[in-house]
Amino acid sequence: MLEKIKEILAEELSLDLEEIGDDSDIREDLGADSLDMVQLVMSLEDEFGLEIENEEIQSVTTVRGIVEFIEKKRG
Amino acid sequence: MLFARGKKILGTAYPVIQGGMAWISEATLAAAVSEAGGLGVIAAGNAPFSFVREEIRKARKLTAKPLCVNVMLLSPYAEEVAHGLIDEDIEFIITGAGNPGKYMQAWKEAGKKVMPVVPSTALARRMEQSGADALIAEGTEAGGHIGEITTMALIPQVVDVVTIPVFAAGGIGDARGVLAAWMLGAEGVQVGTRFLLAHECQVHAHYKEKIIKAKDIDTVVTGRPTGHPVRVLKNPLAREFARREKEGCTPEELEELGAGTLCLAAQEGDTKNGSFMAGQIAGLLSQEQSCSQIIQDLYLGAEMLLAEKCRGENHG
Ligand SMILES: Cc1cc2nc3c(=O)[nH]c(=O)nc-3n(C[C@H](O)[C@H](O)[C@H](O)COP(=O)(O)O)c2cc1C
Repeated sequence: MLEKIKEILAEELSLDLEEIGDDSDIREDLGADSLDMVQLVMSLEDEFGLEIENEEIQSVTTVRGIVEFIEKKRG
Repeated sequence: MLFARGKKILGTAYPVIQGGMAWISEATLAAAVSEAGGLGVIAAGNAPFSFVREEIRKARKLTAKPLCVNVMLLSPYAEEVAHGLIDEDIEFIITGAGNPGKYMQAWKEAGKKVMPVVPSTALARRMEQSGADALIAEGTEAGGHIGEITTMALIPQVVDVVTIPVFAAGGIGDARGVLAAWMLGAEGVQVGTRFLLAHECQVHAHYKEKIIKAKDIDTVVTGRPTGHPVRVLKNPLAREFARREKEGCTPEELEELGAGTLCLAAQEGDTKNGSFMAGQIAGLLSQEQSCSQIIQDLYLGAEMLLAEKCRGENHG
């Protein structure tokens, strides 16, 4: 899961996989802006077959946080 | 007929939306645009809902045609305005500077048609999924808050990923721009800067003078470090922004420097300390006209231009 999320982040934010740490802050360290976040949410929805509200993802800050968020969503 | 789908969704004679302009597009301008056959837009800007309601009521006394309110999602009153609009007598809501997803359902249930401004394909797709009726794809040429992509590059890419109608905004100043937007796949246009020169536009005379005097290279983008860049005409305030950005001022300091400055320009005409938001097309604009003249020049002009081009081609 963690690796999959990193792949998605690398793809959406045009980063190398090595640049993305487990605890990297998506906005501060990886430089995602609000439009990148929209793009990211869409990719996560497609990949995991989920519906994600824009507001829900706002409290998620790190790469590991995304994993926890997705796991919780899937129940 | 150009833009059949755009006209249908707006229910207007012409597929021309007057872009919402904070502190500037109030009841008089919006009603005049709607009366002239376009879609008039009252800007909520950073104002509380009581102000917006007042303007809606005033505009309603002036026209029975469709009206719209532009909700600026960065406003401290965005939530209050978003909820207040549900019970107001307006047909359309346009949102600027963000993602209105959380208000969408309530607006749709109240029968409002919602048209978010989008600066990217991802937000465009997202908005279509959330039930938007149409989109306004705005390029970086525009005045006010801007995205990165140019109108020329953005419109065809957005048009390709959604099925709802797309209106083009940013850099459209005359019939040529309207026809170009049509060629790119847009179903209509949203125009801001040119409406600053409408007789019915209540903006300070100094503002209009600055637009008329502006040359092609006279706009700059300030506030990039804040994450909310805006396009403005060059003046002492814009230069001060550039200086502080170079010095590495914090986003907070820059936000503070910008606070209240659009109002200062629009209402006081303060050419030194005001923020004169305007698009790159300002350089093309040279005369004040009525809303009716502007809309007809844009739309009927585009139809004539197309007919002319077709004849020209046939005659080699
Ligand atoms: C002075 C000014 C204020 C603006 N304020 C807003 C606003 O409050 N909300 C918004 O969504 N767009 C705002 N805009 C953008 C316009 O609605 C419109 O999309 C834009 O002006 C189109 O590009 P153009 O200026 O090249 O015609 C503003 C534009 C200007 C020039």
